Amino acid sequence: MVPFWLRCADAWRAVRTYRLRAVFCSLSVALGVGAISIIVAATEGAYKQAYDMVDRFGPDAMLIFGESEEARATGRREKNITLEDVEALRQAFPTAYLVVPMSSRWDMIVAYRNRKHQTRLTATTADYSRSWSWPVTEGRDLTEQDVKGLRNVALIGRTIVQELFPDEDPVGKSIFVRNVAVQVVGVLEERGSTGPGHNLDDRIVMPITTAMKKILNEKDRVQAVRMRFVDATRMEHFEAEVRAFLRKRHGLQERQPDDFRIVSPREIVKFLVALTGSLVVFIGITGLLSLVVAGFVLANLFLLSVNERTPEIGIRRSVGARRRDILAQFLLEAVTLTAIGGILGFGIGVLGGPLLKNVAEFPMHFSWKAFAVGMVTATLVGVIFGMQPARKAAAVHPIEAVRKGS
Amino acid sequence: MSLCVLEDVRKTYILGDVRVDVLRGVSLQIEPGEFTAIMGPSGSGKTTLMNILGCLDVPTQGRYILAGKDVTHMSDDELSRMRSEHIGFIFQSFHLLPYATALENVLLPTLYLERRLDGRKKRAMELLALVGLEDRAGFKPSQLSGGQQQRVAIARALMNAPRLILADEPTGALDSATAKDIMTLLSDLNAQGTTVVVVTHDPEVAGYARRIVRVRDGMVVEDRQTVSETTERRAHGAVLA
Repeated sequence: MVPFWLRCADAWRAVRTYRLRAVFCSLSVALGVGAISIIVAATEGAYKQAYDMVDRFGPDAMLIFGESEEARATGRREKNITLEDVEALRQAFPTAYLVVPMSSRWDMIVAYRNRKHQTRLTATTADYSRSWSWPVTEGRDLTEQDVKGLRNVALIGRTIVQELFPDEDPVGKSIFVRNVAVQVVGVLEERGSTGPGHNLDDRIVMPITTAMKKILNEKDRVQAVRMRFVDATRMEHFEAEVRAFLRKRHGLQERQPDDFRIVSPREIVKFLVALTGSLVVFIGITGLLSLVVAGFVLANLFLLSVNERTPEIGIRRSVGARRRDILAQFLLEAVTLTAIGGILGFGIGVLGGPLLKNVAEFPMHFSWKAFAVGMVTATLVGVIFGMQPARKAAAVHPIEAVRKGS
Repeated sequence: MSLCVLEDVRKTYILGDVRVDVLRGVSLQIEPGEFTAIMGPSGSGKTTLMNILGCLDVPTQGRYILAGKDVTHMSDDELSRMRSEHIGFIFQSFHLLPYATALENVLLPTLYLERRLDGRKKRAMELLALVGLEDRAGFKPSQLSGGQQQRVAIARALMNAPRLILADEPTGALDSATAKDIMTLLSDLNAQGTTVVVVTHDPEVAGYARRIVRVRDGMVVEDRQTVSETTERRAHGAVLA
C-alpha cells in the first residue's frame, strides 16, 4: 500500500494549484471556526474565573446571610441570624472547623489626627483572618481575649494604611471609629479588588462584641455567618443540613421560604456560567451559521472544480485509481483546505478574543481545547460538504473523462 | 499463453431509443512481445476496442481475457487493479496533470499500486532518462514541447512495468518529425520486450507495427503480419545492442 503522506502530498499539490478556491474555502471556514474557538475560550475562561473565585471564597466554605431572597431583591435590610444561632450551629456541626459571625457597615468614618476616611467596618471574631485565609502581615491578629474582653482594637486593610498613615507605622496607633477610640493592632495583607468598587483592602476589622455594643448598637443580631468544613467534597450535603437546621430553629413552616440565604461555591460557579451563557449562545449561532455558509461555499467551489478537472479524473482512473481513491483525493483536498481554515480561525479567535474582552470585560482562556474543538469542527465541515462533490468526482466514468480531455 | 484474448466481443450502446452496435463480434489474440496497429476509419469501433483492451470498458457480450484473467465480469475496483498492474496508456493529447512536474506525472501510477514498489523515485528518473528527459524532471507540462510531453506520458505508461502499452493516436497532436521520434521510441520499447498496441488511422504510424488489424463497422476485416524493413532493422538493431 502507498503511504498516506504520498496521498497528502498529492492533495497538497492540487490545493496549491487552485489558489482562488483555496483562499475562499479556507477563509470562509476560518470565520466560523474563529467564532467557535472564541466560544470555547469564553466558556473555559468563565469556568476558570469561577474556580478562581471559588478558590478565593474557599472550596470548603459557606456563607449564610441573615436575609431572605425577597428582602435582598427589594433592598430591605433583615438580620434574621442571632448570636445564639451561631452558637447553635457551632454545637450542631462539629464537621465545621470554623464558624465565624460577621456584621458589616459601609459608612464608617475613621480618623487619625486630621485625616479622615470613609470605609467598611467588619465586626467579627478572632477566626476572621483564618476563615478567609487572609493573613495579618504587620502587628498581630485579633484574639479571643479581644473578643471576650470587648477590647477597642482593630485590624486595618492596606487602603486605610495609605489613607491614614501615609508615612507612619500604623501598628499601635489609636484611631477614631465614629467616636470610639480604637487601637490598630495589625494590618491585613493586600488583596486587591474583585471588580470595580469592590476594593477588599478598604476595610477595618474589629471584635464583634466591641463593635455591636459600642458602634453598631446591636444586641444579638448578626449579618452573616461564615462556616468552613473539614470535607470540601460534601458541601452540597452540608448546605442541605445547615438549611434544614436553621429552618427548624427559626420555626419555618414547609410553605414558608427561607429567612436566610446560603452562598456556596456551587452557586458561584452557577452564577458565572449563566453570565457567560447569553454571549455563548449569540456567538454560537453566528459561528454555526457562518460554518454552514462556508460549507456551501466549499461544496460549490468543489463541484466547479470537479467539472473542470474531469480530464484529470480520467487520467487517474486510467492509471489505476479506483472510485474510492478519487473520492479520497477530493475529500482530502477539502479537509486540507478546511483544516487550514481551522488554524486561521483559531488565529482569528486569539486575535479577536481580546477585542470582545475589552467590550464586555469577559474572561477568555485559549487552550488546546479551543484549538481542538475548532479543528474538529473544521474537519467535519470538510468531510460533510466535500462529500457530495467527491462522490460526483468518483462517479465520473473513466472513458468520459479521458474523452473530455482530448 | 496469449496476453490478450478477445472472444466474439460485442459492444452495444443504447443512446435514447437508438441501439448502436459498436463492436459486432471481434475475436483477436495478442501475443506477448507483439507490436500491433489497430487501424480503421473514425466510427469503426477502434477506440471502443482499445477501451475494452485497456479495461476501461467491458464487453456487452463475449469474453475478454487479459494476462490469463477473465475481466468480462470484473467489478470497477478489479478493473482499476488490472489497469494499475498490467496496462500503460498513451493518449493523443498526452493527458498529463497540468499542475504536477514531469517527475510527479511519471510517479502518478505508483500512487494507486497495491504492491510495494521500492525505489519508485529512482525508477521514475531512470524512465525519464530512457525517454531522454532526465534534465526536465522538474518541469511542468506547460514548460515542455508536445513531443516532450508525450515522452513524459510514455515514461508514465511504463512506470508500473505493465505487460501491455496501449497508445491511442500517440502522434495525432505532433508534427511529423516529432511523430517519428515518438514511434521510434515505441519501437525500441517493443524491441526490449514490451507488448505495444497502437490505435491509429495513420498508415505511417501503422508502418512501425509488425501486425496490422483493420477494423470496419465493428468487425475485424483484415489481420496480417507486416514485417516492414524499418521495424525489422530496428528489432535486430535493438537485439544486437
